[in-house]
Amino acid sequence: MKVKALNRTKASTTRATPSDLRPVHKNLNPASHPLPRAREYTRAITAAKLDRMFANPFVGELKGGHVDGVNCIGVCRTNLLPVVSGGVDGTVRIWDLQSRTMVKNLEAHSRCVSGVVFGHGGMFYSCGEEGLVKAWSCFPKQSAGDSSDEDSEGYAKKPSSVKRMETDEESPFGPFNTYRLPSVRSSHNSVAFHSIDHHWAISQFATASSDSAVHLWDPNRTSPVTSFSNLWGSDDTVTTVRYNPAESNLIAHCSNDRGIGLHDTRTASALAKTILGMKSNCLEWNPMEPYMFVVGNEDYNAYTFDMRKLKRPTSMYKGHVGAVMSVSWSPTGTEFVTGSYDKTIRIFNARKEGGTASHMGSSSTGIARDIYHTKRMQRVFCTAYTSDHKFILSGSDDTNLRLWKARSSEKIGQLSSREEASLQYRSALVQKYAHLPEVKRIAKSRRIPKLVKKQTAEAIVQKEKKRRKEGNVVKHSKPGTKSFTDERGKVVVKTVD
Amino acid sequence: MFRSRHLPTSFPPTNHITMSSPPAAKKQKHTNNTAGNSISRGPSHSQIIQRRQKAKDALSSLPADKKASVLERYHGSSTASHRLHTLRHDDKHEDTSNLSSYQLRNLQKRRSNPNTHRGIQRFAECKETKRLENAMEAMHAEEILHDYNSGLIEVETDMERTTQLTQEKLKQDMLEENVARNIYNLELQDYSPYIMRYDRSGRYSLLCGRKGHVAVIDQHTMGLSTEFHLGEVTRDACFLHNGTMMAVAQERNVFIYDENGAEVHRLDGHKRVFGMEFLPYHWLLATIGHAGFLQYQDTSTGEIVSQHRTKMGPCHTLRQNPHNAVLHLGHTNGTVTLWSPSSSEYLVKMLCHKGSAVTSLAIDRSGTYMATGGGDNKVRIWDLRMYKETHYYKTYGGPPVCMDISQTGILGVGHGCHANFWRGEGLKVKVDDMYMKHECSGSGPLESARFRPFEDVCGIGHAGGVSSIVIPGSGEPNLDSNEHFTNPYMDNKQRRETEVRSLLEKLRPDMIALDPDVIGSIEESNLIQKQQRLRDLAESADAKKAAEKEASKSKKQKKKMRGRNKISKKLARKQKNVIDEGTEKLKEAREQERVEKEREQKNRNDGDDHDNDAPAALRRFFNA
Repeated sequence: MKVKALNRTKASTTRATPSDLRPVHKNLNPASHPLPRAREYTRAITAAKLDRMFANPFVGELKGGHVDGVNCIGVCRTNLLPVVSGGVDGTVRIWDLQSRTMVKNLEAHSRCVSGVVFGHGGMFYSCGEEGLVKAWSCFPKQSAGDSSDEDSEGYAKKPSSVKRMETDEESPFGPFNTYRLPSVRSSHNSVAFHSIDHHWAISQFATASSDSAVHLWDPNRTSPVTSFSNLWGSDDTVTTVRYNPAESNLIAHCSNDRGIGLHDTRTASALAKTILGMKSNCLEWNPMEPYMFVVGNEDYNAYTFDMRKLKRPTSMYKGHVGAVMSVSWSPTGTEFVTGSYDKTIRIFNARKEGGTASHMGSSSTGIARDIYHTKRMQRVFCTAYTSDHKFILSGSDDTNLRLWKARSSEKIGQLSSREEASLQYRSALVQKYAHLPEVKRIAKSRRIPKLVKKQTAEAIVQKEKKRRKEGNVVKHSKPGTKSFTDERGKVVVKTVD
Repeated sequence: MFRSRHLPTSFPPTNHITMSSPPAAKKQKHTNNTAGNSISRGPSHSQIIQRRQKAKDALSSLPADKKASVLERYHGSSTASHRLHTLRHDDKHEDTSNLSSYQLRNLQKRRSNPNTHRGIQRFAECKETKRLENAMEAMHAEEILHDYNSGLIEVETDMERTTQLTQEKLKQDMLEENVARNIYNLELQDYSPYIMRYDRSGRYSLLCGRKGHVAVIDQHTMGLSTEFHLGEVTRDACFLHNGTMMAVAQERNVFIYDENGAEVHRLDGHKRVFGMEFLPYHWLLATIGHAGFLQYQDTSTGEIVSQHRTKMGPCHTLRQNPHNAVLHLGHTNGTVTLWSPSSSEYLVKMLCHKGSAVTSLAIDRSGTYMATGGGDNKVRIWDLRMYKETHYYKTYGGPPVCMDISQTGILGVGHGCHANFWRGEGLKVKVDDMYMKHECSGSGPLESARFRPFEDVCGIGHAGGVSSIVIPGSGEPNLDSNEHFTNPYMDNKQRRETEVRSLLEKLRPDMIALDPDVIGSIEESNLIQKQQRLRDLAESADAKKAAEKEASKSKKQKKKMRGRNKISKKLARKQKNVIDEGTEKLKEAREQERVEKEREQKNRNDGDDHDNDAPAALRRFFNA
């Protein structure tokens, strides 16, 4: 008779030296893993809780800030670190994101800085409400011998062909050039600039001004190359102007007559215009799907439009209880951030599914994935994604620039492979059980300011009232004369060709 | 208007471009299907059948033990095939009175058509194929991942019987020294009888003498790690989540001791406890005792989660079903009841031993089989999927007082001074031959028998002390690092980490149910049954409403006086009996007025007596 019994040795289950990893055993027999469903579900709840526990989106403020509200932020499209901001006090400040400190304070304008934008090679342009556009460089000027064109980095060089106009101020950061509209030179009530944007490929920038015109500028010339004035016969001020990232001759703008317009710079012809119920404050093209753009509106909502179909927005993004003042796409084009007059920042998934962290808030579009706020943050005037898609910058009325994580519970820094595996497992668990009420409730919970909460509740009541009223109108009018229109159908008042 | 002239070619095509060529698209799809490589629709049915045939062929060519391991996985519950089965069952149902005309029409169509539920059948076939393939894959993975094989006894000639093996022979000739040291006998007569239990990893064993002797032995070092005397009766003892804590049921209360023998807690809620079980995934200590109260206490928070009155008198037999954490109680009237913390009634009641008490019971790891021992000297095996007895074994020389089923399914039964062991097949079908036998001659009746987890060892407690014997093939050969507290060689750091992790994954008591997969699943929707259920619900709601209405009718309306105790009313009441001159005068005047009015009325009535008698149509002539 042969007998074999289990002879377990200590060596197989323990490590030889303390520096070794502990051996891991697997038993695939399902009988040795009782209650698998209940345990997995409990793990999913814990994962959802942990995700909320680690949610700490505020990284910090940028030290030594403006002395008045921050009005605009410019983020470099080719380099991670340089950031510039323009304040209501007329100063432009250059920041270093890594150390979160100010590099330089430039007394740029005599009135509010209404826009800053990066050009090529570390150059940036600021426009002010006193009617001047100035060109700067975010890297200090090298000595004359160094500023050669074959700089390998590509951004630390100054455009050599720039003609120096004003030489009285010798700052290494500039201004290297000053641009103004020719007709109103040295006039007291000059035309104010409201927005500036640089072309994505070539050296050209566009400004929007209070004379209801859009001007295109060549950096080498002090007067505009082209001017589009009196667009669509409207005298209203153009507030925002943005170049399309892919279509090199397409410009979109928002104006004070509540309109959003597209025009082609080659033909100087207006392409299309749509007029919404209220004024749009900001407009941004999606960097990855360049036929889409998002506008932030005074009616507390943001809308995405397909530029081919301006009659209706493709989606609407609700939740703010104040006018949306700024909007910025993430470089991936899947989500965007909005800053609002209600003192909060919200992040929206722009896609229905497959967003980066769709399980974390709402998986559907239209409702914010996350809401950021602090006690001290006042009305938010400008927001920007950093080009690595990991951080968000916000500038607000309380003179501070704040740095936030784009995903609130993400760990900053490098993850070990075990950490990464564990995080992935947790997020997969939450996604698997996201439809169950307990997990959903935890994953969705956000603490929002009391006032915003109250106003949200009020907005729901108001919306319900409107819906009821519309229902009553349909019910009591002659059959066939009145019908329900969906919410998106009501956004656009009219379109103009 | 903005035209596509300005659109770069890289833009996605507008709608009218894709819409312009539907016939071409359709044609292409058709050709794809005929070619049999339609990627978007997944494998076709014939491909599934082919794959299943292939997997079955591979299965049949496997050796017997591997085949068994695959089949064990494959023959679980399958939702799709279950649904198909219920649908077919419903279709066979004769009573069609509660079906709508639409349902009836569909039913007739299905009955006339031989291919009923073809879609679901195909779906089920697809699922079955996938499960079979997965089971095969898991088997192959096991070959790589599992590093130990189960122990066994091989018979070389037909004349040999495995029951002939004695522990002495095993110890002397057959086993390696490392294993043979597990065969020992401790003679402890002073505090006997003893019970012996192991912790989840099988490293520590807990000895508990009836007269108050408690000891913990580390099975790796064979050293005594704790020993203490309580000086009173101890009826049961068990480890909590790991070997560092134990609960002891003493004369009046249950006490919790730590690894040094220090008293950590006295659990006042549990009085005169006879049996205890610890549910490791829920961190619950369950006790039953003289009063027949089943109590669940959370050992992480100290809270008594629930207590149920069984109403069946004192109970000595309590075991947990490891598959779904339901507790099984064996009662003196021969019944076994199943309990969960969330229900104050038993979930299931089975009459297992007619006319005699249930003396012991055990449930196998998969939760499929239960063995019960009764005063009728029989060990009955029950299939818990049907709650039906499959077969029984007789014991000669006393009723089976203790029983355990090992991780691999070996059934151990203690009766009198014998311990008998049946192979794993003995649970499924009745086998003639026992696997092993052991006799504790001269050391009195057996008190307890427990298999040591992850080792081929069984610990026996009896009147003469404790014995440890080797039963080859009784322990699960392979450990799993993800199962908490099952690593016998865990160091302190691992233990601490495991404690935190298992607390994070602690299951809530209300998750205990007969079907452990019910959590996180979606209710199966059988249309006919669902409609019937809704109709029943509506009916019962209507009946309830009607009954309420009836009740409210018969009830007399209560007259509610309001504001009786107002200050002004109180003052007014006080003034009521005061005789005031003015009021008297006023009263008199009113009385007189009333009398006058009456008289006048009477006079008028006397005068026009006939106008009341006149028909209504003519009355106006009299008034005029």
